[in-house]
Amino acid sequence: MLRNKKVDVLISEDELEKRITELGKEITEKFKNSDKELIVIGLLRGSILFMSDLIRKIDLPIKIDFMTTSSYGNDFESSREVKILKDIEEVIIGKDILIVEDIIDSGITLSKILNILEGRNPNSITLCTLLNKKARREVPIVADYIGFDIKDHFVLGYGLDYKQECRNLPYIGIMKEDK
Amino acid sequence: MSYTIETLIAEDVLKEKIEKLGKQITNDYNYEEGLLVVGLLRGSIVFMSDLIRKINLPIKIDFMTVSSYGNDMESSREVKIIKDLNENIMNKHVLIVEDIVDTGYTLSKVINLLNQRGPKSIKICTLLDKEERREAEVFVDYKGFDIPDEFVVGYGIDYAQKHRNLPYIGIVKGV
Repeated sequence: MLRNKKVDVLISEDELEKRITELGKEITEKFKNSDKELIVIGLLRGSILFMSDLIRKIDLPIKIDFMTTSSYGNDFESSREVKILKDIEEVIIGKDILIVEDIIDSGITLSKILNILEGRNPNSITLCTLLNKKARREVPIVADYIGFDIKDHFVLGYGLDYKQECRNLPYIGIMKEDK
Repeated sequence: MSYTIETLIAEDVLKEKIEKLGKQITNDYNYEEGLLVVGLLRGSIVFMSDLIRKINLPIKIDFMTVSSYGNDMESSREVKIIKDLNENIMNKHVLIVEDIVDTGYTLSKVINLLNQRGPKSIKICTLLDKEERREAEVFVDYKGFDIPDEFVVGYGIDYAQKHRNLPYIGIVKGV
């Protein structure tokens, strides 16, 4: 699926499913007694697979929405400027928000998005990331729910891309560099 | 307002069908040329996520948001683009992924718009087809299930923005 590159499996399909089922249960527990509406927000394009699988494991009447920001380009490093290409459609004042991310590395993009959403006065914001690259963190962001802590590998698949490809791999892989 | 939801298409039936569709799509396209898969938000996200994992090709994915569905059961006729594609599609193969095609108005307008950008091809893949409701001319290339004119929810499809997270397709009863 990736032209002329080799990909090793880091997290298999089964491991993903098992962990996401657990996360869904924990999130259901956390919000099941809240009288506020829960809105799950996915950040495009990377979080779509994780979000699709996670919401099916959340046994609550949720709404979903999406945001597209422009900080991730085709490069390995995240650029620092964050532009909102598409905002969420839902009004979030007084509501519980669950932000779903594929990966947190430096945390810079996410911290800017959090600031924007906090300014709209939701009841609460909870952060759920599938992958956490703690070694790369530059701003103090702590996710409430983490699928897997990973080392500073270049990961792809399951929504994560290499030059916009490979998002459709059903597992998380590590790309082998060309020699 | 109280209503109930009855299962129309179970999780394992969806899974099996989506595997078939993925194989078919993999066979129909050329590995070297690749493919851009376009999902229409918010409804198609769950179907698209499952489908692309069954397509064994170097694909890219992108999303569009159009505004023709409100909180009402009937589709309104005006189509506004809330979010356009990020990718350029000129000379590329495009596969539009839809959760459901009913009147076909929205989809036909989206196809017209994308055709003006000079893609190599545009095909449609829909999970559900409510053919008896069709009013606009839309050719569906890949189809999951023909369904009757019932109000369906789940697997990405909403009722007043709710129930998108049901893992199966259900019918809303008693509204």
